[in-house]
Amino acid sequence: MKGLIGLFLILISQISFAVEQAETIFKQLAPSLYQIRLIDKASGEKSSIGSGFQISSDGLIATNYHVISSFARHPEKYRIEYLDNKGNKAPLTLKSIDVINDLALVKRDVDQAMPFFEISQIIPTKGEELYSLGNPHDLGMIVVPGTYNGLKKESFNDRIHFTGSVNSGMSGGPVVNKNTEVVGVNVATSGNQIGFLVPHDKLLTLFAQYQQEELLTIDEQMENQLQANQKKLVDTLINSDWQLKNLGEGLIPTIDVPFIRCWGESNADKEDALIMLAVANCSLDENTYIAGNFFTGSLEMEYRFMQAKKLSDTKFYQLFQRQIARVMPGNKAGKDDVSEFECQHDIIMPEHQNINNKAVLCTRAYKDFADLYDVLYLGVSIDRHDQALLSHFTFAGVSQDSAQAFTKKFMESVSWK
Amino acid sequence: MEIIIEEISRGQKLLGRHKFNKDSINIGRGYHSDIILADPHVCAEHLSIAFDGENWRVVDLNSINGCFLGEGKKPANGHIIHSGDVITIGKSQIRIVFPHHPVVDSITLSPFENLINLTKQPAVLTINVLIFALLTGWMFFLNNPKEVNFTQLFVPAVGLTLMFAIWPAAISLISHLTKHDARIFTQLGICFVFYNLSWLIDFIEALVNFNTSSQSPLTGLLVILPITLAFCLFWLNCHIGFHMSKVRRVVVAICLTTLLFGGTFLIQLSKKPDFSVRPQFNSTLLTPNFMFAPSNNVDEFIENSNKLFQRVQDNKNKD
Repeated sequence: MKGLIGLFLILISQISFAVEQAETIFKQLAPSLYQIRLIDKASGEKSSIGSGFQISSDGLIATNYHVISSFARHPEKYRIEYLDNKGNKAPLTLKSIDVINDLALVKRDVDQAMPFFEISQIIPTKGEELYSLGNPHDLGMIVVPGTYNGLKKESFNDRIHFTGSVNSGMSGGPVVNKNTEVVGVNVATSGNQIGFLVPHDKLLTLFAQYQQEELLTIDEQMENQLQANQKKLVDTLINSDWQLKNLGEGLIPTIDVPFIRCWGESNADKEDALIMLAVANCSLDENTYIAGNFFTGSLEMEYRFMQAKKLSDTKFYQLFQRQIARVMPGNKAGKDDVSEFECQHDIIMPEHQNINNKAVLCTRAYKDFADLYDVLYLGVSIDRHDQALLSHFTFAGVSQDSAQAFTKKFMESVSWK
Repeated sequence: MEIIIEEISRGQKLLGRHKFNKDSINIGRGYHSDIILADPHVCAEHLSIAFDGENWRVVDLNSINGCFLGEGKKPANGHIIHSGDVITIGKSQIRIVFPHHPVVDSITLSPFENLINLTKQPAVLTINVLIFALLTGWMFFLNNPKEVNFTQLFVPAVGLTLMFAIWPAAISLISHLTKHDARIFTQLGICFVFYNLSWLIDFIEALVNFNTSSQSPLTGLLVILPITLAFCLFWLNCHIGFHMSKVRRVVVAICLTTLLFGGTFLIQLSKKPDFSVRPQFNSTLLTPNFMFAPSNNVDEFIENSNKLFQRVQDNKNKD
């Protein structure tokens, strides 16, 4: 019992210590912390809010790209302004973005050198206490303590797994260590106590680029970043190990990389089903946010093995036909972002001659970015009477070369056992 | 002296024909008239037509509404009648012809008239309707992802068959109303033959779509098949149901075909959303038995996709 009380006392003292420390940190850093608000010009009201923090004495402020994305896409419709800890408001200009890592640099006018956040040069250690700052739900600036839990393994672009509450509105706020150096930027949350941060090195790179290079327009930066990222992703995927796995009588490829995860489902428990169905689904759980209704960078692969149980071939294929007519792209995009899909189809037998497919390839182009497409492929086996293997993928935001290379590899990897 | 008087409708359709062998004919609403007209605008003793040994003349019997030549306003009283003259009495019309009035050439029976008549034979008609109902039921069966019992198929099959019988029935009704021969069984027979032919065309389309790639020009040509079929059906409907000139029949058939396909097209166009997220592609699948086309290889498919990307690029630039 004594031991228990002792433990309890230690806990209390640690919590109060953390709170104390959080308070000091907050007081020190408050002047360099901002609420970033997007004002709709026509209505004069704010349309979205986020947090931001100053990273240079001359007024450069870092925030999330998604906080200011509406302005980046439609600069004529919005203006950006900041609200500092004293309640002052003033306009900001957008300088540079990193759409892949969800970062943006905006700049305020300053009369004299101002205090700013130092960006850390070292990576935190696992379990290290960190403090997330921001303005959740427009409730005023707060500080949230939490711990560093390393990089998220299942992510293609690095994200820090932060155990602490990152709420909406805190996006773009800094996460600092005890020395008040920035080690990450709040970006997303995945429910209770699971937050994700953009690692500080991404911010360092963006900052360095901003200081050195002659800046391109925001659209050009976005296009270059999307191009580079898709190339990196597709190259990684194509050069990774494509493991063949059994799905019913079929062999399907799964790509052996941590950021692609697979799930499975079947109707084996349904006695009265006319068709035995097994589904495997592999996807890249990552989206690049371009605007509220425009996402890219996602990859989904789906395989279905079907076996007719109590029905004729004719009905089997008829039902199958109805099923495949319903495919949809994996990413959200609207009329202003992409063209409509165009498709081609043919009867294709890969080199190994083990399967004969009806293959359909559809693609649509991004209107604002050159040589970026959403592609959708559908392969349906047509060489067995009572069995069918469906292989399908949707890949968002890839170049023509990447799309073709990936499609080729995918088509050649699917076969019967 | 013989004379023929035809009661005709405003649409020049024959309502009744009377042949007389005397020199004076009385026309009016009175029951003592030689030709009794029911039109309330006609007087009891309206006019008489009399032969004076040389000519037939119209004599107006002081009627209230008078009688006029043709559609015009020229009074017919005292008019010397020529064969084929039309006289308006009240709101009715009569046509007067002499026995030697020329008639139009007889229409030759078309060679497929026998074929048309074959379709109305009870056995042939029953078989055709049965085939249609069975195919309809089968389609319902094929498209139903669950297990279905007989009643679940029977009701839609019979319902749809009855619905498709409305068209020939409607034409027969119009024929009947326009004083033509209704010929309902012939219309039914022909329609169901064509409905079954359209099932056949559907199958041919599926077969071609299944066996060809999107590069093939054949798929575009397939559109002509159902249009031709519809035109032939409408042409035959007119042929069976109405006496009309060849040109008129073709025009009516073209109009109906345009109405059917143009209307369908317009409806689709009006329902088409401003921007479609879904890809549209040919999803036709048949069983492996119907696959006759040789397969291409992956490289060719990827090679062809260059054109696809080009097309998408062109569309983007157009917007």
